[in-house]
Amino acid sequence: MASESKQFDVVVIGGGPGGYAAALYAAAAGLSVALIERDKVGGTCLHRGCIPAKEFLETAHVLRTIEHAGAFGFTTSTPTVDFAVSQNRKNEVVDQLHKGLSGLLKGRKIEVLEGTGRLDANNSVSVLDGVDAGATLYGKNVILASGSVPRTLPGFEVDGTIILTSDEFLALSALPASAAVIGGGAIGCEFASMLSDMGSKVTIVEGLPSILAGCDTEVASVVQRSFKKRGIDIVTNAKVTGHTPTKSGTTLHLDGVDEVEVEMVIVSVGRRPRTEGLLGEATGVELDERGFVVADEYMRTAAPNVFAVGDVVAGTPQLAHVGFAEAIVAIKTILGEVTVPVNYDRVPWAIYTNPEVAFCGLTEAAAKERGYSVVVKKDPFAGNGRARIIGDTEGVVKIIAEKNADGTAGQLLGVHMAGPWVTEQLGAGYFAVNWEATASEAAALIQPHPSLSETFGETLLALAGRGLHVG
Amino acid sequence: MADVTLPSLGESVTEGIITRWMKNVGDVVERDEPLFEISTDKVDSELPSPAAGVLLKILANEGDTVGVGAVVAVIGELDGSTNAPTAPVADAPASSPIQAAATAPSATTSASASTDKGLVVSPVVRRILDGGGVDVRAVQGTGPGGSITRRDAEAAVANGPTDDVSIALTPGMRRMAQHMVDSVRTSPHGFVAVEVDASVFMELDAVGRTTTDGTPINDEALVALAAVRALAEFDFFNATVAGDDLIIHRTINLGFVRSLRPAGMLVPVVHAAGGLTLRAMAQRLHELSAHVESRQLTTDDLLGGTFSLLAAPTPSTLVAMPLLIQPNVAALSVGAVRHAPVVVERDGVETVEPGRRLVLGLSFDHRVADPVSAAKYLERVGELLAAIDVNAER
Repeated sequence: MASESKQFDVVVIGGGPGGYAAALYAAAAGLSVALIERDKVGGTCLHRGCIPAKEFLETAHVLRTIEHAGAFGFTTSTPTVDFAVSQNRKNEVVDQLHKGLSGLLKGRKIEVLEGTGRLDANNSVSVLDGVDAGATLYGKNVILASGSVPRTLPGFEVDGTIILTSDEFLALSALPASAAVIGGGAIGCEFASMLSDMGSKVTIVEGLPSILAGCDTEVASVVQRSFKKRGIDIVTNAKVTGHTPTKSGTTLHLDGVDEVEVEMVIVSVGRRPRTEGLLGEATGVELDERGFVVADEYMRTAAPNVFAVGDVVAGTPQLAHVGFAEAIVAIKTILGEVTVPVNYDRVPWAIYTNPEVAFCGLTEAAAKERGYSVVVKKDPFAGNGRARIIGDTEGVVKIIAEKNADGTAGQLLGVHMAGPWVTEQLGAGYFAVNWEATASEAAALIQPHPSLSETFGETLLALAGRGLHVG
Repeated sequence: MADVTLPSLGESVTEGIITRWMKNVGDVVERDEPLFEISTDKVDSELPSPAAGVLLKILANEGDTVGVGAVVAVIGELDGSTNAPTAPVADAPASSPIQAAATAPSATTSASASTDKGLVVSPVVRRILDGGGVDVRAVQGTGPGGSITRRDAEAAVANGPTDDVSIALTPGMRRMAQHMVDSVRTSPHGFVAVEVDASVFMELDAVGRTTTDGTPINDEALVALAAVRALAEFDFFNATVAGDDLIIHRTINLGFVRSLRPAGMLVPVVHAAGGLTLRAMAQRLHELSAHVESRQLTTDDLLGGTFSLLAAPTPSTLVAMPLLIQPNVAALSVGAVRHAPVVVERDGVETVEPGRRLVLGLSFDHRVADPVSAAKYLERVGELLAAIDVNAER
């Protein structure tokens, strides 16, 4: 059987961000690469995740711009939306990106196979179904990048009309008048924000004491306040006990709280690894108790020459850009090059809600939990000229620095932002935290004026001991 | 007002490097007070102020090369009638001869840039390490994958620099370097050492280590005397190779090796040492040493040597091998005078008594001399040393 297998330097199972990045990076280094994808290259991110969700959020942003046009002197009528057109536009964006990626893979001479890949013993890989079903490959190195799928809740069978996960939600051609979002994490809040901006009545049901639990509390509370102001109901510490379908939707039952009547329930309670069928007999690859693949900092699994990257990896943030970074670490390790593993404490996070959230490094609570004495400074966007100009002043920049023995602010531990375009503004903070700059080192650098990023610069100045505008 | 010019520093010296200004612009100077230090390819000298007054201008900075006769400073009158200087014209700080290699274009710096390929070091960490003179490759990182964190860098810097240090050679060191390289290139060096009786030093101790007029007599003076006397019989060691000829010098100009601090050496010469008595030799040597100390040697004091003597560098040196001072063909090395048991024969009976021994070494130019003649010369020096009547000659 091995003699019939086509041999590659690298065989990648899964064509999402982790998998295609590994394939592209390996091919760029001159390695021979095969990529097995069961659906479409681009994976969840491109087809059912980041890209479609952000496209929808931009749709909501356009609507907000139209709604605020009056303040700039424009006469507009109340806008209406044909969401099918919106859905089409999203599909066009996705299609273009998909074509671009496919072309890129082809251009790098990467052999793309269609089907579900399975790793067997001794680095043999089989394609189980799809166009290339029955193919067997041998990879000197195999990279597991099978990704993740939305987790579901017992009693909430996904039907695509009343009960949806992100997969189904992002395919809608019409939006509901009302919706409950179960799970107030990044994905749930993005959907809630977009739906609310588009006119739906939204309830967020969160089991924890607050939404956006991983964020710094002050940044999360900016979003929470904005959501409440816009009429989004937020039920925290909630326990969902079930639902009863009605003619026009369903009634959501919550323990100890009034039930909620909605047209649609979107379940966004996290993502589980997609490992069913991934591993054959005696591969040596170790999974954790939740089914994620266990890998070390160089992305090596328990089996020799088998690596794992992306959402399928145990204990690492499920972020496309983390998958990209892990892919590079894995390929450089395969190449025998010196590589610095991903520092998971300091990866950039971006949440595209209105207002946006972006952060890097430790939250104030996490820093204290780790025993740091901290100095914290905050600057709201309300004082920012550019924010006034664009009419979007909600938000804050908060920076946490380690406290020096003399009480001054030392090394930056975390940069946290909520507000307009903060996902695009985080870069400077990301560099500062990862380059381990001190407050004064970062404050010595200039931000352009007028720009939203001045708020970051102003916070640094204050942290360095003396602010221009902030105390 | 008086111009300070670079005076003639001796025959064949046309320029010098100003190595140090002892006074700053605005300082009051006395006439003949040391004003600056000049280094030529022969000697370092302190030069005195030609006039009393205020140092108004310094026209040549430390490190500048100036020609003989050039104006290097201006001295103004003390009463204030001349314009007091408002700002020093040339106030460049004395450049430290020691610079961290990181700031000099040295091999170390470029190596660290090229050999840490693939290692990701944040600019902050790199700056901390560079500032602390620590080679990035010497740091064990504790970050992901062994990457160096700010904390690692700070800890490494706290442990002190690892960078090589580049020290600029002083003019004295450069002179020594040049001369020694030339010497080794010119002369194939041979070396012989013999041990001789040194009981004469016991006699010297017995009568006192001074001449009758109070000049100190050191070991060097005594050996020098014997060496010069022996050269009368071994004149081919007081010579110079010139093409196919050996020029034998009728005059013995005896050079004495003197080390400089922190490094470098001078070989001041006692000219016409051939007929000197012990007293005269001691006086000339004492004078020479005083001039070395006070930096008052002239170029002429350094020229014309025909043979040299290297005294024991330390009190326990058995013997050192000197390199030939060009164009000499021999150099005598004197070991430390050691207390030693000596076999003495009296009335046909050999007994062991406390005595003194000394190792003499001779470096010679193997083009024109050989170990046998060198050893014989040394033995003769030993005999003549023993024959010195210390009491009569002092």
